[in-house]
Amino acid sequence: MNRLGRGAIMMCLGVVLGRLLWTGGFGWFVQQRMRWPLILATIMLLFLGGIECFRAINEERDAPDTATRSVAPSIGWMLILPLVVLLSVAPTGLGAAAADRVDAYVPTQQNNPFEPLPETGLVEMRVFDFLDRAVWDEERSLEDRVVRLEGLVVNDPAIPDGFRLTRFSVSCCAADGIPLQVALRNTGAPLENDTWVTADVVWIPPAVPYIETEGEWIIEAEARSLEIAPAGVPNDPYESPY
Amino acid sequence: MNPTGEGAAADDRHALLDHRHDDHSHDDHDHDHGHDHAHGTGRFALGPWSLLLPIFAALLLRNRIGWFEGETVRLWATLFVSVCVQAVPFLVLGVVISGLIAAFVSPDLVERFVPKRPLFAVPSAGLAGMALPGCECGSVPIAGRLVSAGTPPAAALTFLLAAPAINPVVLISTAVAFPGEGRLVLARFLASLIAAMAVGSWWARRNDESLLAQLRHEHEHEGSRWSEFIDVAARDLVHAGGYLVLGAMAAATLQLIVPRSALDVVADNELLSILMFAALAILLSICSEADAFVAAGLPQFSLTSRLVFLVVGPVIDLKLVAMHAGVFGRRFAAIFAPVTLLVAVASAVVIGQVLL
Repeated sequence: MNRLGRGAIMMCLGVVLGRLLWTGGFGWFVQQRMRWPLILATIMLLFLGGIECFRAINEERDAPDTATRSVAPSIGWMLILPLVVLLSVAPTGLGAAAADRVDAYVPTQQNNPFEPLPETGLVEMRVFDFLDRAVWDEERSLEDRVVRLEGLVVNDPAIPDGFRLTRFSVSCCAADGIPLQVALRNTGAPLENDTWVTADVVWIPPAVPYIETEGEWIIEAEARSLEIAPAGVPNDPYESPY
Repeated sequence: MNPTGEGAAADDRHALLDHRHDDHSHDDHDHDHGHDHAHGTGRFALGPWSLLLPIFAALLLRNRIGWFEGETVRLWATLFVSVCVQAVPFLVLGVVISGLIAAFVSPDLVERFVPKRPLFAVPSAGLAGMALPGCECGSVPIAGRLVSAGTPPAAALTFLLAAPAINPVVLISTAVAFPGEGRLVLARFLASLIAAMAVGSWWARRNDESLLAQLRHEHEHEGSRWSEFIDVAARDLVHAGGYLVLGAMAAATLQLIVPRSALDVVADNELLSILMFAALAILLSICSEADAFVAAGLPQFSLTSRLVFLVVGPVIDLKLVAMHAGVFGRRFAAIFAPVTLLVAVASAVVIGQVLL
């Protein structure tokens, strides 16, 4: 890899990151709080890459025979692969395929007492909090309350009249994503996997308390109304465990 | 683009680390005598135009091959790209620091400030690891440059292992993932620090400089300090970054092959679950800032076995082995990886027994 190649590959990486930041597409791969570190890294990559290209072009003018010298190991060309993969496969983030591979989140932390919910009306809530309250809230604050959840559809043969409303909890990057799932019943016409929906739901209290249930805990809710997200996907597809 | 030849690997190490700074020439700016002699001029060096080929290929293949639409391939791509995107800011921070070390830290300076005796150098290097916020990708090029600037390898390796495991960001995220389990945070801190210092002391005792000798390769540098900084930062970035991409590919592949939901089988057996968590830490290659959340999501396992996961992951995993092999050499990685793994597991088990 000669100097111009080294500069070019850094610029390339900088442009890829810059575009992911510009379109917001980086949110599919990493947590939102990585925005500023990524912006700084992008600036640094473009700066280093720019200087290297500039020096390479000068070198070529002043001393053409040294300009073709190798200044970096060829393993560096691997850095083009993220761009190649982004262009050819167009990955779309974690969805049903990932949810089927990883154990769903189990609310293990007793956060009592929970903050009281607003007296009346619809409550917007993270799927994370919904699951925590459903399992641990001693006041049973979710009972008979309409809660708005946002997530994507993961169909499950065990839920013939609905699906698993799924949102991923991601603390750093998508590779550490953990699915948060509510078994949603009574959702009407079947939807395709990975459709983003906004659902107003009411928790279905379990017949036997979850903690006395053997095996997987299934937190159920009944859909009151369901809307397919108009924009396709939200700006921030993942929830953060923080 | 073939990184596999033995000759190429040796060359790579020179490329990263032959840039030991020489104090006498920093004000002498001369373009005709280049900055690098490790690569022969006779070797054909690919230019930037070769980048266009894979990009064109990717654009041509897009939407043409059904295989790329498959959900497994898409998931693989998501995991691969996300590991890369997550690592880049830490890698950039790492190479900025490694560039500063190469340009501004002379061997004299190291001699004056780094204790010579391993008895002092190793613990101070371990504690110095607390000062680098971030995860493991950034500390590899830094440790490489520390060695080439004249730091005793035992101290640099202790820093390499300690930095990603015991910095405040990692400890805080562990505390958030395990609320009310303050002892686990303490156990992680102690077990990681002890493991890092044990490996450092082992290296000091081993006293075999031959494996890392190429890092000490003397090199007269010509050009200003800033030009050296840019040169070293760019080279380390492209070099360590290349290996990082390789490691990210391996990690994404293994995330698909080793589903986390297949783990329950061994939950009842403590020994098996310890071994399994050590293996998982290596195969999944999850960032040290995030691994606590994954461990918290597996409550059916004992705290000690999950501590093994938290202690092993930051010091050794697939992407780190790839980066170690690239930066320090394959022979080094072949010895360093198993020793580090054993020490980390042992340290986590002992601390786990005592504290948890």
